[in-house]
Amino acid sequence: MEQIAVIGLGTFGIVVAKELSKKGIQVLAIDTNEQKIQEISSVVTQAVVSDSTDEKAMRELGLTDFGAVVVAIGDNREASILTTLILKEIGVKNIIVKGLDDLHAKVLQKIGADKIVFPERDMGEKLSEMLVSPNIIEKIELSPDYDMVEVIAPQSFIDKTIKDIDVRAKYKLHIIGIKRKAPYIKDDGETDFKEELLIAPSASEILQDGDAIIIIGRYADIDKVKKL
Amino acid sequence: MKNKMPKNFSKEEIDLIEMGKFYFISGKYDEAIAEFEKVIKINPKNADAYFNVGMVKEAKNDSSGAKKMYEKTLEIIPDHKTAKKHLDKLVGL
Repeated sequence: MEQIAVIGLGTFGIVVAKELSKKGIQVLAIDTNEQKIQEISSVVTQAVVSDSTDEKAMRELGLTDFGAVVVAIGDNREASILTTLILKEIGVKNIIVKGLDDLHAKVLQKIGADKIVFPERDMGEKLSEMLVSPNIIEKIELSPDYDMVEVIAPQSFIDKTIKDIDVRAKYKLHIIGIKRKAPYIKDDGETDFKEELLIAPSASEILQDGDAIIIIGRYADIDKVKKL
Repeated sequence: MKNKMPKNFSKEEIDLIEMGKFYFISGKYDEAIAEFEKVIKINPKNADAYFNVGMVKEAKNDSSGAKKMYEKTLEIIPDHKTAKKHLDKLVGL
């Protein structure tokens, strides 16, 4: 089974460690703070108090056998850089580091970080997109020009077939899926709904109130649909 | 099917709620809301009606409308677990 180590148990590191554990990955959590280690010890495979800027201590943890090591140190750029350097020296295969700013990221890239992530920047971009386009539920950038977007189906699309809407001809977009609510009544009489995903819907599929459509296309074309 | 609707609701309220639920599971969201709103008019303390309007609004992707309805449900029944669960999900908890 794959093993991943997470160094630094701030909010970001804790979430990464917990989510990986939930997915069945063997997680080694590392932090200098004993209390944080105690708190996460019941969730992860192993949790150790250790200083990641101590090369000898890091070598003893056998991190070269891990599929990836996530450096989630968020409050100390020197420690983040030094830890990344040590991991590289030891021969860790896949080093993923939380970047703090552009300069920090440049240094990390120079010393050999395999991937640099910016959770705050990414979330900031997502939030601003959400505020500007409240109908957009999810957006994945496929290339600088093309996006895949999950968007609430515009009111003018409701009760029409995909063929009638004809987004391919009108907007040069492709509907690749529909997320549809399926309401039901539970055994205790309470209402609830499940979400169903219709992949590659046929042209005769009728869009319903509450549907979200997953579309692929150029950003400018998607922009036209989300304004409908 | 068990029904946990409290007995102190009038037959009219119970019938309207059932009708609203029928519309909801048939995908007729606006009709469902209209039935539940009739209940609220008769009895503004009927938490089930608010909860169901919340559920329909959430299914219609009207998050802010759904949130208001779940909050209203919780004002009347503070330990309404499903309303709390849905409200937490909408807020992002």
